[in-house]
Amino acid sequence: MSLPGLELTQPSEERSQAPAPPSQISLTPGSEWRFEVAFGHIIKVKVFRTLRYDSWFVLIQVVQLLNGTAELFGTELAESQTYTFTGTKAAIFTWHGCALEITAVETASTTSDGVTPTAGNGAGGCQSEYMAEETPMVEYANVHFALETMREEAQSIGKDGPRVLLLGPENTGKTSLAKILTAYATKIGRQPLVVNLDPTEGMLGVPGTLTATAFRTILDVEDGWGSSPMSGPSPVPVKLPLVYSYPMQSPLDGEGTVYRPVVSRLALSVTGRMAEDEDARETGIIVDTPGILSTDKPGTMELINHIVTEFSITTILVLGSERLYSTVAKQYDNKPSSSATAAVFDEHISVVKLSKSGGCVDRDDAFRKATRESQIRSYFFGNPIPSLSPSSAITLSPHAQQLDFASLPVYNYTVSSADDEDEDEYDPSQLGTGASFLPGGDGMDDYASETKQEPDRAAPLPGVVGSFSEPADNANANANANSSSSVPLKKVLPPAPSALANTLLAITHASATASPAEVRDASIMGFLYVADVDADKGKIRVLAPVGGRMPPRAIIWAKRWPGELVGLVG
Amino acid sequence: MSGLVSDEIAEDYKSSLEDLTTNDGIQIRTLTVIAKENTEHAMAISRVLENHIRSTPPLQKLPALYVADSIVKNVGSPYTLFLGRNMYQTFMNVYTLVDGNTRRKLDEMLNTWKQPAPGSLDTRPVFPPDITRNIESALIKARTAALQQQQARAQPDILGRNRGNGTPTGWTSSSTPPQNMPRSSQNHQYPNNGHSNSAPPQTHRQDIDLSYLNRDVDALIASAKIDFANSPFNPVSQQRLKALVDLQAILQKQQLAPDQLKLVRDQVSALAATRPPSAAPNAATNGPAVSAPPQIPTPPAQPVSQPLQQLLNPNTLAELIKATASRQQSTPPPPIPAALPQMPQYPHQSVPPQTAPENPLIAALRARGLLPGGSTPSSLTPSTSTPVSSRSNLPFILPHGMQPTPTAPSQTPIPSNGSSGVPMSTASMKIPRFGLIVSLYDSRPNRCGTCGRRFLTTDEGKEMKARHLDWHFKTNQRMTESSRRAQNRSWYVDERDWIKSREAGDENGAADPQATTEGAAGADGNTKQEPSKPWIRAPNDATLRNTPCPICQEKFESTWSEDVQDWIWQDATKVGSRVYHASCYSEVTKGPAPTRQTRTSTPDSVLGKRKAEVSSFEGV
Repeated sequence: MSLPGLELTQPSEERSQAPAPPSQISLTPGSEWRFEVAFGHIIKVKVFRTLRYDSWFVLIQVVQLLNGTAELFGTELAESQTYTFTGTKAAIFTWHGCALEITAVETASTTSDGVTPTAGNGAGGCQSEYMAEETPMVEYANVHFALETMREEAQSIGKDGPRVLLLGPENTGKTSLAKILTAYATKIGRQPLVVNLDPTEGMLGVPGTLTATAFRTILDVEDGWGSSPMSGPSPVPVKLPLVYSYPMQSPLDGEGTVYRPVVSRLALSVTGRMAEDEDARETGIIVDTPGILSTDKPGTMELINHIVTEFSITTILVLGSERLYSTVAKQYDNKPSSSATAAVFDEHISVVKLSKSGGCVDRDDAFRKATRESQIRSYFFGNPIPSLSPSSAITLSPHAQQLDFASLPVYNYTVSSADDEDEDEYDPSQLGTGASFLPGGDGMDDYASETKQEPDRAAPLPGVVGSFSEPADNANANANANSSSSVPLKKVLPPAPSALANTLLAITHASATASPAEVRDASIMGFLYVADVDADKGKIRVLAPVGGRMPPRAIIWAKRWPGELVGLVG
Repeated sequence: MSGLVSDEIAEDYKSSLEDLTTNDGIQIRTLTVIAKENTEHAMAISRVLENHIRSTPPLQKLPALYVADSIVKNVGSPYTLFLGRNMYQTFMNVYTLVDGNTRRKLDEMLNTWKQPAPGSLDTRPVFPPDITRNIESALIKARTAALQQQQARAQPDILGRNRGNGTPTGWTSSSTPPQNMPRSSQNHQYPNNGHSNSAPPQTHRQDIDLSYLNRDVDALIASAKIDFANSPFNPVSQQRLKALVDLQAILQKQQLAPDQLKLVRDQVSALAATRPPSAAPNAATNGPAVSAPPQIPTPPAQPVSQPLQQLLNPNTLAELIKATASRQQSTPPPPIPAALPQMPQYPHQSVPPQTAPENPLIAALRARGLLPGGSTPSSLTPSTSTPVSSRSNLPFILPHGMQPTPTAPSQTPIPSNGSSGVPMSTASMKIPRFGLIVSLYDSRPNRCGTCGRRFLTTDEGKEMKARHLDWHFKTNQRMTESSRRAQNRSWYVDERDWIKSREAGDENGAADPQATTEGAAGADGNTKQEPSKPWIRAPNDATLRNTPCPICQEKFESTWSEDVQDWIWQDATKVGSRVYHASCYSEVTKGPAPTRQTRTSTPDSVLGKRKAEVSSFEGV
């Protein structure tokens, strides 16, 4: 399987791409410049040979006039600073008018197999770029102001800040709105807790995770949400995410039996943080969800209900779906929130319908895949985009090492996908059919072994004291009542399956001997990338972000999602 | 015979005069000599000269008058007699049609006429006093009237909407196509102003400094647009922009007489000088005012160049308006909006004569969203192509986009985070609240040039910015240093660390009490109470820094701690004078300590370093 941009070994055809001359764009107040930059095959040779990262770069230099201002998803761009974008579909909006200068970086381009480089005809080689005067920014800003009103009220009477849930189908701008709300909140000195419940896209990490992060500092304009901590400095302050593994594409997989408890656990941690962090408590929570929750697939409303309950949502924002809005409004509008103090403060849920931005574009599978790959790559190798000053490009050096597979407590989820038949040729629940793919096919029976049957009781949250452990337990109990009594998590026994190659392993904070429920509920320490599998010797070669001995922790195989990523290590 | 000779000489003299286009001393002297040598034909020459002065283009009138002046002073009688007879009309005619500079020269010349001719033995003035006195008194009268009228017109025309004013009045009204209907009443007042010597129609089309003028106006419009963009809801900047745009349209569409152009230019340059927004009100009034040149003789010390603020002093204004109002039988007062009294900054507006359908007040109200939006944008002159189209690019900041909303005080600047009660509802989200955008931008004008972060201008904000810039500086330093060493992604923190962690931010790292330093804090009952600190500050001494751990012989790795704001050695412990890896040391001494792996972990885990959480994973 060959993926775009991953195989530099066969540079076939030199394509001379004349660097586009800088183009100037001036934006009138209230308009935005939307652009799409493809993941292409153009290589910035100097930096990316080593990283095996190739892309089409578009440098965007923002030259602002006088008092012009511009923001990208709410985060203000600094005047006369240069921002670099690749593989991005975004919009630069201005409230006051501004001028932008767009330049394509001079690149030597190499076409390998796969998609042809998609340098567009737009300014600076964008695939598509245009100015839009009709934006829903007025609405989005109003959401911020309304939230700010709620925050001020909460501050004055001592209750928790607003908990916002974003709903909407795919490509309606949920994550963009989450960024805008986050950016505006941090801009005025707030510290929102941002929860990403969308496993298809990572936040400050790789896909296949659910995360929560407190944002106090400015978001990274070029790189989505920013970066998680590294051993070295970062030009944009790093963000500290709490990460849980959910290695499936859809929350509906296994009828939500995995998604629900992980969400509950995440909500528990977030509640714990809120209880102790005054800034976070006053600012509240912003929850981003996967678009699939906003479809009419069976089970979605239950999951939404679960999220609303777990996070004690006070405000539901529905983007771009009339049908969903009316359903959700019927069910939640003006109902008391599930917060423990809802009755005290007379807290009610409000459901608000928002326009979808005309700038929302469909991100096709190829683009999403490229985005996922880029997220994984930057987890191990750092920010691949060089800004003008080479110092701000962060290159990380992951450590490669050999591990004895038998010593690793690797678990794998055995649920079947709700809308299955994706590209995954293995169905974990039917591993037998995949026998021919396994080097030790006859060792198959070993897999079936250890489905734990312990009572599915979530581990108590360390460091969390009684005040909120009770509702948490209730929540867990609810969640568990709904789910099957056993955790569909099986230990993968040696010999190492060859399917491990090119996939990610999530190292949890749970001990190697933890129960499956504990493993499922444990937060993630980091990820390993399996470069290859030597089944004969029982060894796997992995890429680890941090050197040193592998921590003796339970590991979850992210086999189904984000799936295979070929060529991360050459 | 003499008549015939006179005609010939007159004909010759006339053609000679026609050659005189500039203030050419030699030519003027020659003409004077000819006149002197033909005193017997003085009457014919005088008549030719008078006719010539009347019919020649305005720019050539002054030299022609100089000829008369020279003749009168150097030859005297009988020319004094002949020329003096019609001097009043001749002089006033010229004065009406020339620009300010020329008028100044005419005034100087008039003054000399009250003196004896230089070098003459005759002690009598050049012209008999009654002639000069007539001229002078007429000038004074006209000057006063012009002053009043200009001010009177300056008021209603704030929006510059009545292009009727752009039409030259009186003598030129026939030469310009009627511009627009509603304000024609304004034109009626001109004949009433008591100046009787209307001159023949002027059809001169001179573009003396039209290009300069256009450029200046363009520049002004550009700057007005910026003002407008900065404060879209400031009616002053709106009006200013409109006025300028209208002025530009007038300049482009209409041919103005040179003296009018001169006036406009003077105004424009005065405007350019007083560009700051505080001067904007004049600017707004200037546009239309300058486009309507005084139709009556005006003295050189005209308000043209005089700061208009003085003229706009409300008291003076009110008086002037009253005076003008009583003099002009003006149109009936417009229905004054009920909201009028609320607008004290336009007190004079309650005085009737300014009957503009586009009352500036109404526009201002509209701009503030106090009146329903209406004709404002549509009544914009369609001819002003560029500005109008650029304006239509901003649909939602146009006044009519503003809807009155009780919850959004759109004008008052909001301090800090104030969001003053925006309800969370679908309907409420649709209401533009541009005033609140201020809280995101303008209320924090202190901007970091590197990352665009904004700070308050308070002392606290300045301090935060200083710390923030410090952070940038240190980060840059460390980036340069660290580019030489390999870096790696840190492990993510676990739940407890995450819950206990606080975002240090980039401006208050060390100030955060949660970001503890070495031994000091540990009082809040979590794991920081552990006796041995798993990290120490990296020593400054180079030899010490290069000393490896005595146990494993590996060097220590300095990492930057956001919490401590200093370089630290993770997993290090100081025993006596030597520094060990805490894990190595504990392995040797069998003491409890974290495993070696955590040595490279993120600084944040410092907060909650613990042995193993396994023990806490027991069912409740």
